[in-house]
Amino acid sequence: MKFFAVALLAVVAACGQGKAIFNVDAYSFLQGTGKDTIPYNIPPGLSGTASTVQKISLPPGFGSSIVDTVRISSGTANLENAGGTGTIGFQLFFASDSAATYTAPVALNIPATAVNGAQTVAVPITGDLSGVDSLFQHETVYIRIAATATNTGATFVIGNGVLKALVIRIVLQDKVL
Amino acid sequence: MRTGVVVSVLLALALVPLLPGRVHAQFSLDARRIGMAGVSLGRDGSARRYNPAYRAVKNRSGGVGQAKATIPIPLGLITFFQDHPPGKWSSDPMFNPDSTAFNPVELMNLILNPPLYYELKRAPTPTNDVEFTIGKNQLIMNLGNTRVLIPEEKFGLGMNGRLLDLGVSISNFHVGVMGFLHYDVEFALDSALRHVLRDTAAVQPDSSYRILTDAVAQTGFMPSLSFAQRLTHGKPTVPADSLEAADDGIYVGGAVHYYLGATYARGVGPAGFTVGNPIFGATPTVLFDGAVQSSNKPFGKGIGGDVGVAWISGPFEVGLGVNDLGAELTWSDTKIQRIYYDPAGDSLSVTTLQPHAQTKTKLPVSYLANAALRMGTGTTVGADVFNAGRQTSIHVGVEQRWGPFALRGGVARDQRKQMQFGFGGGIRVGAFGIDAGVFTHSNSLSETRAMTLATSISVY
Repeated sequence: MKFFAVALLAVVAACGQGKAIFNVDAYSFLQGTGKDTIPYNIPPGLSGTASTVQKISLPPGFGSSIVDTVRISSGTANLENAGGTGTIGFQLFFASDSAATYTAPVALNIPATAVNGAQTVAVPITGDLSGVDSLFQHETVYIRIAATATNTGATFVIGNGVLKALVIRIVLQDKVL
Repeated sequence: MRTGVVVSVLLALALVPLLPGRVHAQFSLDARRIGMAGVSLGRDGSARRYNPAYRAVKNRSGGVGQAKATIPIPLGLITFFQDHPPGKWSSDPMFNPDSTAFNPVELMNLILNPPLYYELKRAPTPTNDVEFTIGKNQLIMNLGNTRVLIPEEKFGLGMNGRLLDLGVSISNFHVGVMGFLHYDVEFALDSALRHVLRDTAAVQPDSSYRILTDAVAQTGFMPSLSFAQRLTHGKPTVPADSLEAADDGIYVGGAVHYYLGATYARGVGPAGFTVGNPIFGATPTVLFDGAVQSSNKPFGKGIGGDVGVAWISGPFEVGLGVNDLGAELTWSDTKIQRIYYDPAGDSLSVTTLQPHAQTKTKLPVSYLANAALRMGTGTTVGADVFNAGRQTSIHVGVEQRWGPFALRGGVARDQRKQMQFGFGGGIRVGAFGIDAGVFTHSNSLSETRAMTLATSISVY
């Protein structure tokens, strides 16, 4: 993979001065693995968090690059609420290894969305990830997507947060070798 | 160090396919020639170098404005050194690959266009964003404006040039030495890869994408013995020794060269990649398996020859020279290596197949056909067709003289099959003249023409 990625970056360098933009469809790597779904089941009056962790492999050579911007350019999650009343928000954490995603500060916070009874609510996930720019200079980045649910009703809030799209846009200044 | 090596490789592999092959054929120190889009109306060194029959034709110094010597006025160097002071090249983004502003295309354009003359209009350097879309089953490469540099068909470049011509003439014989430089690079993208790079098409699952490469470069010098003879004389005219009539006749010539190659290298091999389904479900398989030959010792040896003929009749003359016939060099000590992708190490591996092998290389046959017509009243029209191993270039030019003044113009079809234009003028005062010529060219990694102003002083 390393050699192939270096060849890819060679194309960038050969094309003159400019910016190299990588649109990484992270969702495509999660889809169908079960990691795109975060189940929640919160008793009345309580709150809880469930999360999923995914490794993202990036082309090597970014280490000498200057990361211009990193952002989630498009993303959507469906809150497929089976029952109960409450709110559900998403938080994204990035770190250089899996365990560190549990101690890393929040990179992107998606405000809570109210759910009530059986319904499906689409939640857009977009935002700037400039706080974790430096992580994208490594070949591997781990992302943890956490769903934080709060039960404001009298019955269990139960359902799934299902990721439907997640594209990370990484813009590099043209110094990739 | 690593960066420099990588950049060099990139320049060679990624940019070389796009190079215009026209550079060396059109590059001239003579602003008069440049003002006629590259055609030479005189019997200068270029004619003798590529047509041995011209060694029997007298120089017509003073007759049609042919100078004894031409001295270029390097206006472009002044600007270049102002922009790029030599003492600061190590930190100059133009030359420093570690700089974030370093642009390999710009550097290559500089090599293709030595900054001797003043650039009136530069070809734009691609400075655009390159965008990759990567998903588990998706790979799209959008090269932006640079896509136009991806050729639509098989492409290559080559040159078989003679860099110098030193020697002495004794009677009909000429003994001398010439330098030669030959390179030929051919790349062939398969249609799938071309579609991906040029049309921003998505990479398809379970597909292979390939580029085939065959490149050779060799240089050296060749001691030569040539013979030229005037076979016929024209009919006497009044005055019999007028400039127009003095050279009438048919001339033939031949030359034998003993080639002494200084160094050579050749690389042949396919490269590419195969993707599975989904595309990034598994690591794409890299295809790279090439052979490289390089000379361990100088003095590859071989014998070849040139033949030429020229016919002059009053104001009209035409010539044809064919060069490097049978020129094959034998290199007694060559290293042959295999360079291939090693999937186990995910890297390139190099193995030596034969450390000391004998190999052969050939020089392509090149030809120069030229014609000129002196129409009287100071008008001279000329044309030449030149092929140095690859694409043919054609130049047509005209010069009009009024006393000390000259006006010139010309058109050319270069090796990229693009039309180029030139115009210029000059003034002669006594034994000296100053000339200026403007020409368009496509000697850059761009589809857009550049325009250069050349200036030179002529000594008559």
